[in-house]
Amino acid sequence: MKAILEYWLVLAQGLWVTIWTSVCIIVGAALSAVVLGALRLSDTPALRVASMLVIEAIRAPSALILLFWVFYALPLLPGMPRLSPLAAAILVLALDGGVYGAEIVRAGIEAVHRGQTDACRALGLSKLQSFTKIVLPQALSQIVPAFGSLARSMIKWTAIASFIGVHDVLYVANFVRGQTYETVTVFCLLAAFYWILNVLCGFAFRALEQVLPLNRALRVARVSVRVASKADASVGAAG
Amino acid sequence: MTWDWSFALKILPDLMAGVFYTVLVTLASSAIALTGGLLLAILESVSTAFGRAFVRFWLELARGVPALVLLYFAFYVLPEAGITLPAMPIGIAVLGIVYAAYSSEVYRGSLITIPVELRDACVALNLSPYVTWQRVLVPLMIKRSLPVLVNYVLGLFRETTVLFALGIPVLMGQAIVVADQSFRYLEPFTLASVIYLGMNLPFLFLLSRFKVKYA
Amino acid sequence: MLSAVEFSRSGPFVPAAAAAPMEADGSANRSQQAMWSIEFEKVSKSFGAHRVLVDLDLHVRPGEKVTLIGPSGSGKTTVLRLAMTLEKPTGGDIRVFGESIVFDAAGKPISGSQEARIRRRCGMVFQQFNLFPHLTVLQNLILAPTTVLRQSREQAEKSAFEYLRIVGLENKVHAYPAQLSGGQQQRIAIARALILRPEILLLDEITSALDPELAGEVLDVVRGLAQESKVTLLIVTHEMRFARDVSDRIVVFDAGRIIEQGSPEKIFTNPESERTRAFLRSILNH
Repeated sequence: MKAILEYWLVLAQGLWVTIWTSVCIIVGAALSAVVLGALRLSDTPALRVASMLVIEAIRAPSALILLFWVFYALPLLPGMPRLSPLAAAILVLALDGGVYGAEIVRAGIEAVHRGQTDACRALGLSKLQSFTKIVLPQALSQIVPAFGSLARSMIKWTAIASFIGVHDVLYVANFVRGQTYETVTVFCLLAAFYWILNVLCGFAFRALEQVLPLNRALRVARVSVRVASKADASVGAAG
Repeated sequence: MTWDWSFALKILPDLMAGVFYTVLVTLASSAIALTGGLLLAILESVSTAFGRAFVRFWLELARGVPALVLLYFAFYVLPEAGITLPAMPIGIAVLGIVYAAYSSEVYRGSLITIPVELRDACVALNLSPYVTWQRVLVPLMIKRSLPVLVNYVLGLFRETTVLFALGIPVLMGQAIVVADQSFRYLEPFTLASVIYLGMNLPFLFLLSRFKVKYA
Repeated sequence: MLSAVEFSRSGPFVPAAAAAPMEADGSANRSQQAMWSIEFEKVSKSFGAHRVLVDLDLHVRPGEKVTLIGPSGSGKTTVLRLAMTLEKPTGGDIRVFGESIVFDAAGKPISGSQEARIRRRCGMVFQQFNLFPHLTVLQNLILAPTTVLRQSREQAEKSAFEYLRIVGLENKVHAYPAQLSGGQQQRIAIARALILRPEILLLDEITSALDPELAGEVLDVVRGLAQESKVTLLIVTHEMRFARDVSDRIVVFDAGRIIEQGSPEKIFTNPESERTRAFLRSILNH
């Protein structure tokens, strides 16, 4: 254990890289998920088919082979950039999260009652207005919890970035293990790191759920009902 | 560098060997996962606080820690404990256990949707607990969980790629070996991507069948 | 609710602040000349093999209050949904104040912006209220005025308060829909439709989702509206007494066709068709 402590700085740096990568890919996935998910339900068949193809093409091979392809094979194609390991990892993992997220977004949008869009039309709102002001805010109440568990998996996905030389916490831990031969301690520490990150991510998403418009509205309604029934109870007691 | 068809053809047999091992590992791991998950779910349902805590611990571990870390852990620590095993069984077992934890959640979810009245009926018929589980509850659990389980097996199949880290010759590993030997990256990785994509089709077919059946 | 009833006996239905005319575009001028506020011509609608409407002809005068009655599934609701362009007809033409909402001048399918412009003259209230659950009552009311009519927030809020007074719910401005009873929600939905000052208002079974004791407050609001305002009303309802009170004309539907129409007196006291008699018997014995 003492031997490991000497490496605390490298370990902290590795942990930082993992955290930073996780934040980037989760945010990137959220953005691409909304776009892909909305396109998936577009009224234009061409857009619908195109987004479906993109989703299947990215999702079907695993993230790892895509990562190797983008890092090693992509630069060989004419006109394609050579990405740094970190950039390649963020790109691939964010896209991969985006296609899984797109399904979540799609399901969330479809769960919003049909009457809501009817009402939007009857009030003369444009498609974009009814999506951003009515459908998406309500769908978020379904999307955010599901996306939260996706985000928790995505933290684990960052582990594969070490294969192309990103100095994340797994890469660093392997290095420390080679130096100190304290395999059990290093890996228990590593597992604890990931587990804590995961739990924190869960907390963050639960906090986010609290501020969603529909959840807030329903919470207010529930509280007022409870206050009312309490008032009734006290009236009853007085009588 | 341009695409070289003759090179692509030359490496195809190596990649196909990788396909064979990928299928093998996927089948073996999912067998462990599906039966293990069922046992865990039953254990959690019938047992005391201890059994429940045990299952929850596995679940938290699988949820929170990358499979890759668990793989490395098993690979390096087992020999220290005096157990020397080849990489292949270790890989199969670790993936199997991780996905057993996931699928136990699925089984548990379908178990709690089985109406209480059905269990009451089993008691009323004086069925023994064993027969109740074996003939009524387990078949229902499996039937209801199947579509979600196929999804998890698909996830497991995609995750077999990381087994190359232990030197197991899955398709991913073969692609890397071929690429490193020849210093050509375009063909092996592109071919491997396409093959992985193709290997998804049976799963997608199965899932679409379920969708038709259960929608 | 009291104030709604009170109101329906007194004062003009359109509040002073909101009584400004529709934005002046070419169509406003034409609307004064148009003989019909809404016309259905040989309109048919199928969902797959199921024919919901067959060659429907229906012409409604400006300001006329028309109630569609008939057995469930006879196509009444589809008529309203077609008028609101929530559905596209399979055949035939629909015109709002003389302008088609199906075809453009060249006979091609109408463009989205054209459709949106004409559609603005219609408003609709739904069976399931369809209030936006994540917005407060006030936000529900001002959403369309601020985004569609591009009114300022103050202006929109001012007319929102006026319409809330009309439906008797000015004390619920900051409540969320989930905090209101069904009847209150439906009154808010009516206010939300009225605030855009539609020339045609479509009311689709607005009391069907309500307990009987809550239906009255909603119907009172509509009665007031029918008496005081010049809006064209197209109503689908199963409340026969209400239909009799507010309608200028009753149209009886069966299996996607109009089987009979006429004044409420005629339909309810002396219907021609045996099928109308059968329908009225079934509903009155119920």
